Amino acid sequence: MKLTPESKVVIQGYCEPLMATHAARMKVYGTNVIAAISPGQSGETFDEIPVFDLVEQAVAEFGVIDTTIILVSPYQALDAALEAIAAGIRQIIIIPAGVPPLDMVHLLRKAEATETLVVGPNSPGIIVPGKILLGTHASEFYTPGSVGIVSRSSTLTYEIASELTKAGLGQSIGVSIGSDAITGSSFLQWLQILDEDDSTQAIVLVGETGGNSEETAARYIAETIDKPVIAYIAGRNAPPGKHWGHTGTLAAVVGRGVNIGTTQSKLTAFKEAKVPVADRPSQISSLVKKALK
Amino acid sequence: MDVLEYQAKEWFREMGIPVLPSQRIDRPSDIKRLKIPYPVVLKSQVRVGGRGRAGGVRFVTNTIDAIAAAQTIFHLSILGELPEVLLAEAKYDADQEFYLAVVLDAAAHRPLLLGSVQGGIDVESAPELLQQVVVEQEFSPFYARRLTIKMGLQGPLIQTVSGIIEKMYQLFVQKDLDLVEINPLGVSSTGELMALDGKVTVNDRAIARHPDVAAMAEKMAQREKGRKYSLELGTWDEVEPSGNIAVLGNGAGLVMATMDLLTDAGSQPASCLNIGHGRSWNSTTPSFKDRLQQGLEFLSEQKNIQVVLVNILGTVPTPIELAQVIVSFVQRRERMTTNKSRTQTYSPRVIVRFAGADFDSAKEQLATVQVPLVNSLDEAIAQASRLAKSSGRRR
Repeated sequence: MKLTPESKVVIQGYCEPLMATHAARMKVYGTNVIAAISPGQSGETFDEIPVFDLVEQAVAEFGVIDTTIILVSPYQALDAALEAIAAGIRQIIIIPAGVPPLDMVHLLRKAEATETLVVGPNSPGIIVPGKILLGTHASEFYTPGSVGIVSRSSTLTYEIASELTKAGLGQSIGVSIGSDAITGSSFLQWLQILDEDDSTQAIVLVGETGGNSEETAARYIAETIDKPVIAYIAGRNAPPGKHWGHTGTLAAVVGRGVNIGTTQSKLTAFKEAKVPVADRPSQISSLVKKALK
Repeated sequence: MDVLEYQAKEWFREMGIPVLPSQRIDRPSDIKRLKIPYPVVLKSQVRVGGRGRAGGVRFVTNTIDAIAAAQTIFHLSILGELPEVLLAEAKYDADQEFYLAVVLDAAAHRPLLLGSVQGGIDVESAPELLQQVVVEQEFSPFYARRLTIKMGLQGPLIQTVSGIIEKMYQLFVQKDLDLVEINPLGVSSTGELMALDGKVTVNDRAIARHPDVAAMAEKMAQREKGRKYSLELGTWDEVEPSGNIAVLGNGAGLVMATMDLLTDAGSQPASCLNIGHGRSWNSTTPSFKDRLQQGLEFLSEQKNIQVVLVNILGTVPTPIELAQVIVSFVQRRERMTTNKSRTQTYSPRVIVRFAGADFDSAKEQLATVQVPLVNSLDEAIAQASRLAKSSGRRR
């Protein structure tokens, strides 16, 4: 993971509506956005960011690029990511919602073969408070510190960052793996990254009803994670199958048991792993403080 | 989106998966023009499972019986669903029945091939027979053969069943499916294969890039209009019809967390609406402000909702702009209420929770229409709950 203010970042799809705002915010936050990729607009500049037609042209100009932020429309996301991999970029953040899952399957086969980290889709990306913003996180809710947040949501992640900030607990990182059924990176990958990260002392895992990634994460925490982990699960009282647009529920297929994806199954898994689970976002800070004592 | 059996079978036929001669029946009188020889099976075309046990599948041997059976099935509601069409199909005597499926597996991040030599309604009663193969890399027919071997098939069946799986996989990729299932796959005494029933689920996100599927989805949406909420405006779902409070938020996780907190506080959320994020990828999607305004209008049309808790985090657009939307919504509802009689127009009370910049000026604006703006989520929940309980008593 290269997440320092010096690391070189490009944005693919700069000219999509609304994206000018986010690019400007990333720059203001200190992210080293060196180029934007927008076919047909090379030679122009936005906010002093030079525009190129192809990712490889930006690489020819600036050398190896660490991260790309993909802000194109969902059906173009696969192509943009494949272009980035072909140009040697190994950290890809996909912001848009609505990327078809089979496009993600295709991308993940390529990403695994090239050891590329993919965050998203349907994700606000990564924020290292006070240092770098890679995506669309609302940075005002974050403050630098030592709690790492890994989540499936976007606005709920801000909610939790805001509660931690209010309680005087800054954050070492905020990352949303995205809320789709098929995401580029998993809770496991991020738990491992945060466990090894020197600036992180405690981890907050924010899950949701549906899918089985929380259950897998709980087992992984019990087996390998040394740092304290606090969990929170949204959707405890949601009727089965209702998830307001988050589709992490696909794993409920034949042969996986009827209980899969329910909040109960997640709570049980965390209990077995001895991971404290907060009842509400505002309770997380006290559980973190207790765990750090 | 689940397609109906007859639509799934049309796709099977196009892919070269063997299906029986069949005919779509739009009304009982269509039976007179049946081109398939008797005996015939009439099948209710509904999306819910268990239609056989519910009486939605009937064998008939002559036209008179067939018309009577068709009339019965057309009027038979299966788990609340009435069929629009029936499928008339030749009868088939299978020696064995297999189960085959291709499904997208979130845990493996890959498509999964599933197969069992015990198909039909018994597939779930013998989970130990259900075999699976993860399609790790680009598909190649060996993945299908690997499944047939795991299923315990031998001889010519290895190649013929693999051939069906391969075609299912092609369909899966071609139409962007979440699931394609053949259950049962009939196997005759001579080893001939026949897809006797099929289930196909198209991934909702991918529908727009397949013009034929998009047309089907549009037809379906027309039939189900009313309770459905336009996808462009957000995702709406009912929680509990007897509740009297609604949640409107930006982001599914936040909406679910808000709903949990309300329930914990002893309130009963009636429904939740996620209007999505400020970021938008094309200019045809309504703006965030429009989605907020239409969302409020939509929730106000539901008579059981007395309180709407708006919970919005993030900064696109600004709290000031959002406050303006809510102020004009409240003013418009008030005008409607004074123009008509109170019984005709009912306006829910609104409680707003924002966090972020410009909080104070947004609060001042909302105060002009007596809408409270709260900064802390816990406080917003407490206020909304109190209001919902006192409104509940007034009702």
